[in-house]
Amino acid sequence: MAEPVLEVSGLVKHYPLTRGVLFRKQVGAVRAVDGVDFTLGRGETLGIVGESGCGKSTVARMLCNLERPTAGAIRYRGEDITRLSGRALKAVRRNIQMVFQDPYTSLNPRMTVGDIIGEPYEIHPEVAPKGDRRRRVRELLDVVGLDPEYANRYPHQFSGGQRQRIGIARALALRPEIVVADEPVSALDVSVQAQVINLMERLQDEFELSYVFIAHDLSIVRHISDRVGVMYLGRIVEIGTDEQIYDHPTHPYTQALLSAVPVPDPDARERRERILLPGDVPSPADIPSGCRFRTRCWKARERCALEVPPLAVPAEFRHDTGPAAHDSACHFAAELRVVPPGERDADGESSTSAY
Amino acid sequence: MPEQPYEPERAVAGTGMGGAMDLGASEASTLEGAPGGPGGAGPAARPRSLWSDAWRDLRRNPVFLVSALLICFLVLIAIRPSLIASGNPLTCDLARAQDGPAPGHPFGFDGQGCDVYTRTVYGARASVTVGVCATLGVALLGSVLGGLAGFFGGAWDAVLSRITDIFFAIPVVLGGLVLLSVVPGNTVWPVVGFIVLLGWPQIFRIARGSVLTAKQQDYVQAARALGASNSRILLRHIAPNSVAPVIVVATIALGTYIALEATLSYLGVGLKPPSVSWGIDISTASPYIRNAPHALLWPAGALAITVLAFIMLGDAVRDALDPRLR
Amino acid sequence: MLLEVRDLHVEFRTRDGVVHAVNGVTCEVDAGETLAVLGESGSGKSVTAQAVMGILDTPPGRIGGGQVLFRGTDLLTLKEEERRRIRGAEMAMIFQDALSALNPVMTVGDQLGEMFVVHRGMSRKAARAKAVELMDRVRIPAAGQRVGDYPHQFSGGMRQRIMIAMALALEPALIIADEPTTALDVTVQAQVMDLLAELQHEYGMGLVLITHDLGVVADVADRIAVMYAGRIVESAPVHDIYKAPAHPYTRGLLDSIPRLDRKGRELYAIKGLPPNLLAVPPGCAFHPRCPLARDVCRTDVPPPYEVSGTRTSACHFWKECLDGRAGS
Repeated sequence: MAEPVLEVSGLVKHYPLTRGVLFRKQVGAVRAVDGVDFTLGRGETLGIVGESGCGKSTVARMLCNLERPTAGAIRYRGEDITRLSGRALKAVRRNIQMVFQDPYTSLNPRMTVGDIIGEPYEIHPEVAPKGDRRRRVRELLDVVGLDPEYANRYPHQFSGGQRQRIGIARALALRPEIVVADEPVSALDVSVQAQVINLMERLQDEFELSYVFIAHDLSIVRHISDRVGVMYLGRIVEIGTDEQIYDHPTHPYTQALLSAVPVPDPDARERRERILLPGDVPSPADIPSGCRFRTRCWKARERCALEVPPLAVPAEFRHDTGPAAHDSACHFAAELRVVPPGERDADGESSTSAY
Repeated sequence: MPEQPYEPERAVAGTGMGGAMDLGASEASTLEGAPGGPGGAGPAARPRSLWSDAWRDLRRNPVFLVSALLICFLVLIAIRPSLIASGNPLTCDLARAQDGPAPGHPFGFDGQGCDVYTRTVYGARASVTVGVCATLGVALLGSVLGGLAGFFGGAWDAVLSRITDIFFAIPVVLGGLVLLSVVPGNTVWPVVGFIVLLGWPQIFRIARGSVLTAKQQDYVQAARALGASNSRILLRHIAPNSVAPVIVVATIALGTYIALEATLSYLGVGLKPPSVSWGIDISTASPYIRNAPHALLWPAGALAITVLAFIMLGDAVRDALDPRLR
Repeated sequence: MLLEVRDLHVEFRTRDGVVHAVNGVTCEVDAGETLAVLGESGSGKSVTAQAVMGILDTPPGRIGGGQVLFRGTDLLTLKEEERRRIRGAEMAMIFQDALSALNPVMTVGDQLGEMFVVHRGMSRKAARAKAVELMDRVRIPAAGQRVGDYPHQFSGGMRQRIMIAMALALEPALIIADEPTTALDVTVQAQVMDLLAELQHEYGMGLVLITHDLGVVADVADRIAVMYAGRIVESAPVHDIYKAPAHPYTRGLLDSIPRLDRKGRELYAIKGLPPNLLAVPPGCAFHPRCPLARDVCRTDVPPPYEVSGTRTSACHFWKECLDGRAGS
């Protein structure tokens, strides 16, 4: 892996549950994020997938210092950014920026697009001298594929996809090293999603960005990510390269998740085997003992209720050098291919190319 | 840059429909602004901001122009009533009590034989002072405290919210009778102070609610992620997005404050008779409404026009501050 | 034929002009068949469903013409009272957002039972027993105990099951499901879609599935109608369309979605933006975004050309598209 730019270890976020009006007493905690570790390499895209409530958005918010972790460390270039405040925190923020999910609420409706993209320079005046800001804003608009003449317009005059481009331009204004994107395309129409994904990929090369790409859509995550982490109930249960996770998953949750994704290929209907999980995700305020997935797992045995499986290469694959040997938090990890192999075109090209 | 030139998918005119369900919404505005129209500025155009755009908008809005002219006129006669009324509001002739219009006395006479026209003109001072000052005081105090409580939350919020609950429990008229009866003098200021004291909780609640809503929006998070300070977030992002309901409620309340002054004066704890106000005139004229309706209608009409002018002004300002309505 | 929609037009009057949301939609569904209506926001797919169900807000909406034949009767000519009798009993609808479609202050048992009280004149007690039976049928665990719970006490997937139970209550012949699983997580989505497909099979109902998700469509649909700017641009059996789309928009959509089963290169992106319905381009509405567009596309609205006995395409150059020339 490339030189790491971000190292996350033991990241925890608990929200206390209190009772009482005058004398508040803590009666429990919502364990939104409950021990997450990963590293992000320079120029890499790490995808984080999981269903709603798994804590992936909370991780994103902690990475951007919008939320302070209960425990754990986030090291950016070796420095733990979770303990910073004041000037030092402001300096770090320049390097880690966020793209939000909802293009309708993430832009201030009462600011012009020029003001929105120029605000980073007002907050960090050292980045660009005052006279240069307008030029930079126009340049950014051009970079994300919008007409620089639009700087005087307001967000409501743009479509969802265009708004998301504005949000991306704002995130890039300070030339960050890391961009955390929380579901950046899930609010967009299918035909516009591809435009934004392509834009993000182009910008990654152009600006040498590292991405943490958070999404629930497993297909999009596979497309954009170099490595993928799968989250369940506040923890990463499996992490590896896109090939390891999608073609050689060893954790039963990943397998169930992948098997449930509808594939746009009616012929695959017959070829596929679906793993239907029973029941619902348990409440993060009441997490099962041992392995947190055991309540819905078809492999669960007594051991799963007692021991928390560590996120490591499972013992059975320790001497394996193949793609199945990757970190997977399961006592009974076993490879199971659930995604039917797609028909690849003979020449290896994707079937179409952009014009 | 890669060698292959990238062709950005330039935004084509027209925005996407935001789902078929909200066809009635403003979504239908297009990007094909007519040249010179809002947003159709050329490359040389100055960068614009919300405030400059709002001002540009207001200057062209007839509702704003009419209401602003009316308010200017009202303020002018409040300062110098003698400009348009030559008489003395306290010179009364009981012999002409309840008489109708006469030459030199276009509005007729009230129950005391005073000239209704002169009194209506002179009454503007007290009424406009009470209305404007009380509204400004209530809006400022309520929105600052409400904004801070909503933004910072925690103990601040808990304490202030409980205090507003207590104020809501005080009956206005009874409170006025108790508090104002101990204040000496015969000026509008104790009345203004009393209204501010009892009125701010209403604005507090509205401001707190809209700040709480605005605070949760992603653009506030985005500003925070950029490293924006609390004051910047409050002033640039939250205030412009939560001021609209405060403006609406405050301008409507302005009318009730003028009426409240009248009620208090009627009960003998507001302004006392040598003073002139629309409130006093309305309350003194109301017993004779059958015999001399004009004595009631003129000050009441002046009050209604004043309130309407402020509500119209508030509406115009609120709309101008919302780019989506342009 | 169970349902036949012929040349349906729906328009909305707005401040800025008349929006033609549905512009001559023709489609049909037979008993036991699943028709997927595929489209992006603003394509008119939901408005079509509302017009068929008779729940369109009028005004601002207005049906500008066409026929909705349900078992041969034109619903648009019926009186509101007669339509109400059909709605619920003969055709039912499942909405995307179960939380807002259910009444938050009524227990789910009462809401389910109400159907039987209103339409079948059952007693409260019998209706409640029916409600438990229905909840059982959509596989809500411990239905007997949960019948007295309120909607917010159920998870998203369970609420959607309750919506399905409500739709099924009177055993309608046709179900219209408007994005029934969009708000759900993938694993739950799979459960709900499976349930829906199974129940459809069991009851032999016609199902109209309104969605934007090409994956879900491939999983369950028999036929697809692709909508763009208020028109059906392509209509075909599901296997045909995924193998060789006959309209450049369909092809663009299929090529623009990333695949779970392979890591592609750069995604194909349909250029431009979905049309503004107040100013739909003349001729073929897709022409500003179409790689095949020529002069004729800018002037002539393409009729639904017959591609084969079972499929149509509203593209002047459908042959070229079928040959795969639309993409590259």
